[in-house]
Amino acid sequence: MDNRFRRTFTLAKSVLLATALAFTVPQAHADKPAVIRIGVAQQGAGDPPTFGGSPAATVQQLQLLEKEFAADGIKVEWLFFKGAGPAVNEAIADKSLDFAFQGDLPSVLGRANGLKTRILLESGVRVGVKIAVPPDSNVQSVKDLKGRRVSIFRGTNLQLVADNVLAANQLDERDLRVINLDSASSLAALSSKGIDASVNDYHLYKLRDQGLAKIIYESQTDGPQFTRQSHLLVLDDFDRAHPDIVQRVVNQFVKGAQWSSDEANRDALFKLWAKSGVTYASWQAEFANQPLKSRNSPLVDPFIVARYKAVANDALKLKLIRQPVEIDGWFETRYLDNALRTQSLEHYWTRYDAQGKPLG
Amino acid sequence: MPSTRPLSLSRLFSPPKSSGPPPCSCDAPARPARQSALKQRLSAFNWRGLVLPLAAFALLWLVSALHLVKNGLLVSPVDVARTAVQQIQSGALLRALSASLAREASGFVIGTAGGLLLGAALGFSRIATRVIGPTFDTFKQISLFAWIPLISVWFGPGDMAKVVFLSLAALLPVAAHTCDGIHAVSPRYVEVARAFRYSRLQMARFVILPAALPSIFTGIYLALIYSWLATLGAEYLLVAGSGIGNTLIDGSEQFRMDLMLFGIIVVGITGWALNALARGVERRVLARRSGASRERAAA
Amino acid sequence: MSKAIDQWPAITKRATLDREQASPASEQVQRRVRAIVWHLAPWLLPAALFTLWSIGCARGWIAPQILPPPQQVFDTLYELAISGDLARNTLVSLQRVLVGFGVGTLAGFFIGAALGLSRTVEAYVLPAFNALVQIPVLGWLPFLLLLVGVGEPLKYILIAHAALVPVTLSTMQGVRNTPAALDEVARVFGYSRLQRVVYVVLPAAVPTLATGVRLAFTKAWLALVVVELVASSEGLGYLIVYGRQLFQLDLVMASVVIVGAIGFAINRALDALEARLRRGQPSAFRE
Repeated sequence: MDNRFRRTFTLAKSVLLATALAFTVPQAHADKPAVIRIGVAQQGAGDPPTFGGSPAATVQQLQLLEKEFAADGIKVEWLFFKGAGPAVNEAIADKSLDFAFQGDLPSVLGRANGLKTRILLESGVRVGVKIAVPPDSNVQSVKDLKGRRVSIFRGTNLQLVADNVLAANQLDERDLRVINLDSASSLAALSSKGIDASVNDYHLYKLRDQGLAKIIYESQTDGPQFTRQSHLLVLDDFDRAHPDIVQRVVNQFVKGAQWSSDEANRDALFKLWAKSGVTYASWQAEFANQPLKSRNSPLVDPFIVARYKAVANDALKLKLIRQPVEIDGWFETRYLDNALRTQSLEHYWTRYDAQGKPLG
Repeated sequence: MPSTRPLSLSRLFSPPKSSGPPPCSCDAPARPARQSALKQRLSAFNWRGLVLPLAAFALLWLVSALHLVKNGLLVSPVDVARTAVQQIQSGALLRALSASLAREASGFVIGTAGGLLLGAALGFSRIATRVIGPTFDTFKQISLFAWIPLISVWFGPGDMAKVVFLSLAALLPVAAHTCDGIHAVSPRYVEVARAFRYSRLQMARFVILPAALPSIFTGIYLALIYSWLATLGAEYLLVAGSGIGNTLIDGSEQFRMDLMLFGIIVVGITGWALNALARGVERRVLARRSGASRERAAA
Repeated sequence: MSKAIDQWPAITKRATLDREQASPASEQVQRRVRAIVWHLAPWLLPAALFTLWSIGCARGWIAPQILPPPQQVFDTLYELAISGDLARNTLVSLQRVLVGFGVGTLAGFFIGAALGLSRTVEAYVLPAFNALVQIPVLGWLPFLLLLVGVGEPLKYILIAHAALVPVTLSTMQGVRNTPAALDEVARVFGYSRLQRVVYVVLPAAVPTLATGVRLAFTKAWLALVVVELVASSEGLGYLIVYGRQLFQLDLVMASVVIVGAIGFAINRALDALEARLRRGQPSAFRE
């Protein structure tokens, strides 16, 4: 009996080992990937899910990538994450993505924790945050938020700007009762008066228009440290394996950025983005007094580099990361430069210096 | 003289009064020879149980019809019914429910299988109990949902993380109850089997496992409940896919109380159906051993 | 009472000749060594896992974002303890679970007793109760989120609900299943209904009730963790969320360890309490 058991056990062991080996042998290195996976640090809305507010959204809505790679038989998958930037980090760590559209802070957090990525271009810069309260609230300004329940989506690029806004008002996160709620939940909580205030984005305009919220502060005009940026990054592995694909993706993103920066397309742009459920009026309010070019520029100029360095420093100061993060060497701009050159867009967008003033 | 009070409804439904000696059978009024099966079933049905739900229903309807509460949150049952019809017709309900149930089924099956193996190992082997037992016990105490963030990072954003979590939810009760059931087998049976010189395998198959079966079933029953609970929790906390939990969350975020109430009803009905299924299977399997169980009860 | 499992080796071992007759001295040493190994056996698996974890992280088999090294987790635990964050959040969580659990258990006890003692109440209430019970605690979460917002009431209500259901069911079962013998004795002594309930029914229901309370606590702790993961501004679940959002897995693991430790400790306490309560039960009526 013991012999029989032993033999069966050995057989089972070898079968298991063989199966395990079969899975761990790396796949033959394909020349072309079968699918390009792009993670979006937003909760997609609608069916099929889509989003708005940035040139990346334009690229997705206009299907620029799908059309580009259709001839090669490469599928393009846009993956939406309700958990926004932090959830995208988890997917990057798991190697479930090739590209990601993410905000500055979550990418810094990912880089600080060893995720190997490269920032290719910017996609949505000089964006602010808005703080809203229920319509009948007695909170008039940021200072009144002391001791109140405020929802901040932690780990997203909303958080750092919110912290800077608080600091500018001599407040700290510890002076508030911060609840981590994702975008949709915080809107719901605000409308049902479950929280006293919400730090959020353009979604608040819809609530305001419905009379369900009162916006008490908008940050984009108050200075560089009250703006947040988003970018497109690529995982190092994919970059090394398929640089040609990366170049073509960047080309399409630059095209999308150009289309989104053309003031003649303003109306069409907002209508396009309105398919994501955020109304035309909201987009108008979001981009009021701001030229499309300034928001949708893909350039990685000194302003952007300075902003990311500041984000890294602030994150370290606020103990969001434990060690300083090296920002130099994170940006990989050659694809962007190539794309700008081939599309003759080198002087289309303005470059800004570290203080935010136009260069030359 | 025999009383010839006509049968009254109240007498049929109200509990028998426990005063005085029971009436003599010759005093009882002659009942009609046949009472239709439907009437019998109706009279056995507990009508009083419907009082509370109907009252709540009526109250809700009244409040919403009269707009007593100026809140978008109170919806009339009519709205809920309308949403229900719309969801069913558009196939949204089917999609959500099938996604949730598919996930739960795979997690449940994997978890139960693993739990049975682990529980059997712990139950039969003293060494395993000593070495693995305490660790497993401690592991069991860690609240299930605390694992979600870790599982989400370790297994990525896809369905794999959800299935792993559900398997874990099912594995714990099954393993625990299997192990307990095997340990609690009465030594009398073992002695009898020993007297008959049963081999190890025969002992396991004919004595220990059947005796442990009720406990194993309790474990599987609990696993079903916990994995349904875990399915909902996973849909809240792990990256969204589609599922009935997502319907609930959508209802919450879009302020659609009618969608939420509909989702809650669906969740309740599904939970009840799973319970009934488990109980049915349990009854069927255990009924086959009715002889043995009768013996146990008498012992 | 010896368990069947203890006879297992004796039963299944073929009749073997005695082992070589070792000299008494070495036999004693052998026995002592075996005893020591037996005592230490429970620590074998945790030690092996821990070693694997340390080596895996040191050798880089797993990326540090996925599994932080044990040293980092300890450091984080230490920092949490020092900064007072641990104490603050643990106290908040404990307070929530104790209040919710207490309220739920008490309410469940009364409702269960009413359901068990009175057939009328049972007829009216039980079907509705059964229907509501089918909906798991988490099914109520979005509903309550909308109804009461994200403050403390949400947590208390959910935790109380989680505790109420098992306690109600087990109380009802315990009250209903009073052994007939005890009932007869009570009737012989001419106990009034109240006396019967207080002196006979309730004490006899204690074992079933204890099981229900244990289950209720497990469920309450579960509910606490979930609701703190979903919407909370402090507490252990909040720490887990914070760590997750900031991609600090060591913070997540440290918090999970604390959650586990507390759950373990309270379960042990309830175990001891149950054992004390059962000790008072006359053995003739123990199930």
